[in-house]
Amino acid sequence: MSALLRVQDLKKHFPIGKDLFGRPTQVVHAVESVSFEVEKGRTLGIVGESGCGKSTTARLLMHLIEPDEGRISIRGKEFGNIGGRHPVAQLRRQMQMVFQDSYASLNPRLTIEDSIAFGPQIHGVSETLARQQARDLLDRVGLNPSVFIRRYPHELSGGQRQRVNIARALAIKPEIVILDEAVSALDKSVQAQVLNLLSDLKKEFELTYLFISHDLNVVQYISDDVMVMYLGQVVESGPVAQLYENPAHPYTRALLNSVPAQTPGQSKNYIVLEGDPPNPIAPPKGCRFHPRCQFAKAICAEKEPDTVKVSGSHKAACFKLPGSADHQTYIRLQEVSHEPRC
Amino acid sequence: MNPVVEVKNLNVTFKGEEGSIFAVNDVSFDLAAGETLALLGESGCGKSVTLKSLMRLHPMHKTQIEGQVLVEGQDVLKMKSKALSEMRGKTVSMVFQEPMLAFDPVFTVGDQIAESVMRHERISYKDARQRALEMLDRVRIPSAAKRLDAYPHEMSGGMRQRAMIALALACKPRVLLADEPTTALDATVQIQVLLLLKELQRELGMSMIFVTHDVGVAIEVADRTAVMYAGRIIEQGPVQAVLSKPWHPYTQGLLGATVHPGMDRNQALPAIPGAPPQLIRRIDECAFAPRCAQASSRCLSPLPSVNTLTPRWTRCIHADVSQA
Repeated sequence: MSALLRVQDLKKHFPIGKDLFGRPTQVVHAVESVSFEVEKGRTLGIVGESGCGKSTTARLLMHLIEPDEGRISIRGKEFGNIGGRHPVAQLRRQMQMVFQDSYASLNPRLTIEDSIAFGPQIHGVSETLARQQARDLLDRVGLNPSVFIRRYPHELSGGQRQRVNIARALAIKPEIVILDEAVSALDKSVQAQVLNLLSDLKKEFELTYLFISHDLNVVQYISDDVMVMYLGQVVESGPVAQLYENPAHPYTRALLNSVPAQTPGQSKNYIVLEGDPPNPIAPPKGCRFHPRCQFAKAICAEKEPDTVKVSGSHKAACFKLPGSADHQTYIRLQEVSHEPRC
Repeated sequence: MNPVVEVKNLNVTFKGEEGSIFAVNDVSFDLAAGETLALLGESGCGKSVTLKSLMRLHPMHKTQIEGQVLVEGQDVLKMKSKALSEMRGKTVSMVFQEPMLAFDPVFTVGDQIAESVMRHERISYKDARQRALEMLDRVRIPSAAKRLDAYPHEMSGGMRQRAMIALALACKPRVLLADEPTTALDATVQIQVLLLLKELQRELGMSMIFVTHDVGVAIEVADRTAVMYAGRIIEQGPVQAVLSKPWHPYTQGLLGATVHPGMDRNQALPAIPGAPPQLIRRIDECAFAPRCAQASSRCLSPLPSVNTLTPRWTRCIHADVSQA
């Protein structure tokens, strides 16, 4: 089966600070050669800690930030702001996004109806039709149109506003919806309502989701495939069950293990990592995880590990894996004890 | 043994231009020495307001507080301002969710810790700085001597929260109040800080009240839990018992709606319909009744008072309390 969305070698560096000649003094390595594919109707979960580049990746896909390098194609059609590629406006008809902050993503001066009907009108739908569709969509996301249509964003609760944002994203009939921490700000009881809504809408409109979240339990529940990012790079990816049951990368293992048990009486042995995720301004050389990794050896500080197959479509980037080109070198090396990072 | 903290019939009302907000309603609990209580609930349920009342951190002219807050037998709500500032940081100390906002940005972390120690123990600046260094070491901040002269913005989120804990514990308080101290942290850092707090609590033998919305965090740190909804404690008891066999329909609903590993992905989540009520009037009936499947007409009349001194209780009149 061919992929619906294909992303190859996506890269973004943000220059910060300027010297006398206007050259950047430092560079944030936000996203570094990220590649992945999503098949029609599946949900790809992207997890990682703050600063790992998961939200930047989403924004690059939508061209809300211009990528430095990389190819983004939907059904084989390549999109971008470079000659020879299809225009970004077309890309955005097929891919829409819902953000974490439900209030900040709605125009406070537009009514709910205006907000939802705005996009389709830009893309050439008549006003009457756009308004009719807005009403239908509101009803579909569980908000009574006759009650909510004339309301403004500040009159709604967080859960209701996020429903409006979902309706707005669906208004131009996209195939792919990027949900960037879309349920993270909601309380658990409301979060469950919105997650159920997302599952229903996915079936009804045959949607494909990119689900970005730091909540590992929610990602496990909603995703078919998962991609784990660390400091701008993909360290592991694969089908959700395989990756959660059998994480191959030491970082994934520690990350999944760090979630407190949700049932009482199961005391856990935590793998506690030292320190915080390092700064993406000066990422560590070699494997970016090596300063916090308990298995790190000399080679990990020198060379970037290649991404290899664990089994099936489950892949990870670590010298510990037998498939890695430098696996034999890694095995022969002594483990280095390292001081906790400052 | 006498409890370290006793809260009796606490009511907190905020007076605004557009009317009052009845944030906390008839809240009672106590806390034994060395014990951890988790106040569990969703945003707006009054858990943080309750916690702040224990140190009287609400703006005076806008807040009406009734009831009793006894810390080591002394009523915090009746304290004169001198006794109050003597108590804050010395007997009771607090760790906040956002350490960047809790620290003063223009003083170094070392000086802020030293200031608190000098204030409460009347020792020299030199000795106080020595204590600050010990504390930073104790919360395992790498190269603590160097970090003593760092400003809050020069630290990462996890390190800043450790420094905040060092500040809170510098005078060895009897009670630590923690207001979602790990919510803003990344998963791998959250667990570091949780385990650190548990360890320090054991070492110092202090009591802890931990406000959280995360069931997993409550299970990890607490001995007992009080579940709050719409300004009231609706269920209280040992954390194991309450969270494995909840009595109140809200607690049951909250646990059911929380995504946890091993859930059937093909089944819809058992969400609680509706949303929590606005606290613009004093709610004497069951505030959860409009969202509750088990609600009857009796739930809509003022609820009978419950004996909050038993180890486990709930406000729900329909709860089957025979099965523990």
